[in-house]
Amino acid sequence: MLRILLIDDTEKKVGRLRAALVEAGFEVIEESGLTIDLPARVETVRPDVILIDTESPGRDVMDQVVLVSRDLPRPIVMFTDEHDPGVMRQAIQAGVSAYIVEGIHARRLQPILDVAMARFESDQALKAQLQARDQQLAERKRIELAKGLLMKMKDCDEEQAYTLMRRQAMSKQQKLIQVAEQIIAMHDLLG
Amino acid sequence: MTDFSPSPLAWLHGSDAPEKTSLNIGFMALSDCAPLVVAATQGFAQPHGLTLNLKRQSSWAGLRDGLLSGELDAVHCLYGLTYAVHLGIGGVAAAPMSVLMGLNHNGQSINLSPDLRALGVTTPEALERHVHQSRAKLTFAQTFPTGTHAMWLYYWLASQGIHPLQDVNSVVVPPSQMLAHLRAGRIDGFCVGEPWSANAVNQGMGFTLATSQSIWPDHPEKVLASTAAFTQQYPNSARALVASVLAASRFIEESLENRRATARLLSAENYLDAPLEDIEPRMLGDYSDGLGNHWHDAHALSLHNGGAANVPYLSDGMWFMTQFRRWGLLREDPDYLGVAREVQQLGLYRDAATSLGIDCPVAVMRSSQLIDGVVWDGSDPRGYAHGFRLHALSDH
Repeated sequence: MLRILLIDDTEKKVGRLRAALVEAGFEVIEESGLTIDLPARVETVRPDVILIDTESPGRDVMDQVVLVSRDLPRPIVMFTDEHDPGVMRQAIQAGVSAYIVEGIHARRLQPILDVAMARFESDQALKAQLQARDQQLAERKRIELAKGLLMKMKDCDEEQAYTLMRRQAMSKQQKLIQVAEQIIAMHDLLG
Repeated sequence: MTDFSPSPLAWLHGSDAPEKTSLNIGFMALSDCAPLVVAATQGFAQPHGLTLNLKRQSSWAGLRDGLLSGELDAVHCLYGLTYAVHLGIGGVAAAPMSVLMGLNHNGQSINLSPDLRALGVTTPEALERHVHQSRAKLTFAQTFPTGTHAMWLYYWLASQGIHPLQDVNSVVVPPSQMLAHLRAGRIDGFCVGEPWSANAVNQGMGFTLATSQSIWPDHPEKVLASTAAFTQQYPNSARALVASVLAASRFIEESLENRRATARLLSAENYLDAPLEDIEPRMLGDYSDGLGNHWHDAHALSLHNGGAANVPYLSDGMWFMTQFRRWGLLREDPDYLGVAREVQQLGLYRDAATSLGIDCPVAVMRSSQLIDGVVWDGSDPRGYAHGFRLHALSDH
């Protein structure tokens, strides 16, 4: 039976996986809290697999554990050492990162990742990229328009107009396009 | 307005238009991500035919995995981490990497706890005495096993006669959790990037004992990195990306007003999500160490410096390999120069810099003197790596 250490230290609540993993026949040890001494816990629990939220800052601590364990008889490795980028991609989509002890084949991770997949929705945000190009062209035209209006209003050159717009945007924690739209709106209002 | 003029360079395949126009850019919430945030949000990429989508990351390991899996096209990266991935040190198998440009020099620091201050350990000499005389081992945190903060911490401790792997414990703690670990008494000091060091000082949680620029004035720090596969498949996108970020870096340092506006932009929830008072002073070079000392630092965070902070010198990349060797992260000497030639994209950088009218030196190495008086110029990397009194070379 595989022993899984579940690190539950982000808002996503990886702990939700616990019941499902237990049901699937795994021994699960859950660890929560932001400031646990991760290397010490790994040493004590001696898990076969460690699951941790892909978004957890604790991922960097795990990298230290991996590096320190490389001289031990049973080193902890990321499953990508199995040279299977497909499994890595799948885990990222599932929202968990898995670290396993060497000697356990990546294929045995499959049921674990299946459970994670079913619990967490995969990130579909990439589809938004399709619209990016059209939007980019439109934004550039609007910024050019605002720059022209500002040059007339302030009687300044092109570079000065850009600097004014950018400084304004950054100070207001906005994007350049937002300030451009404000200039255009104001110009329309004043007719 | 150089930003919006077409590139004067004509490329062999007839077009220098980016092959991929929408790029996902990973960054960590640190002050030195500024050029990427400004480039992406202030219209510096569109003139080069690019849209940059910023993706904030929670850990360096996550950022690395996003890059290797293709979800991220380019990232704000620790110099050392880029080489660790290239050489296969750490959690993943080796993957060829590219350093596209430097993002900054300087601006990191080593802090100690309020408890050590109370014991009078407020100078390097006092720390050295404390480490060698007290029975309990101190624990120091850095941000990634092969990262720049680990290397600055190790180099600085060693320069004070403290062996970083024998005389003290060294652990990894995410920057945002440094304070919590300090409060819990789990660590006695740490090396981290801004705004986290200033944040600790402002909260009364200890003091800055050494800045990274006191270890190596104008040291290499973060880079814009991608996989070599990305650079080879999308050379025009890579060049356009460097030009966009370089233009943003130049803009930030054009005036004090621009720097101040940059600090305000960074403090927003989407980027650093940190108070302006933790970000702005040290970005402008104004330091307070928490012991009552205030100074204007001549080698504070530098994002451009006329291009000097951005050139991906071969010697900068090689230095991190010499330190990996010194501390046993590499068991054998790599082909220092050969590896650096593969990783550092000097040609690509030169093309982008030239198109913006930014000076780029002919030299591929630079010479610096570090805190221990030793000069590093890239000419004898093997001799340099093996020449330190304190080290963890297994074959000695």
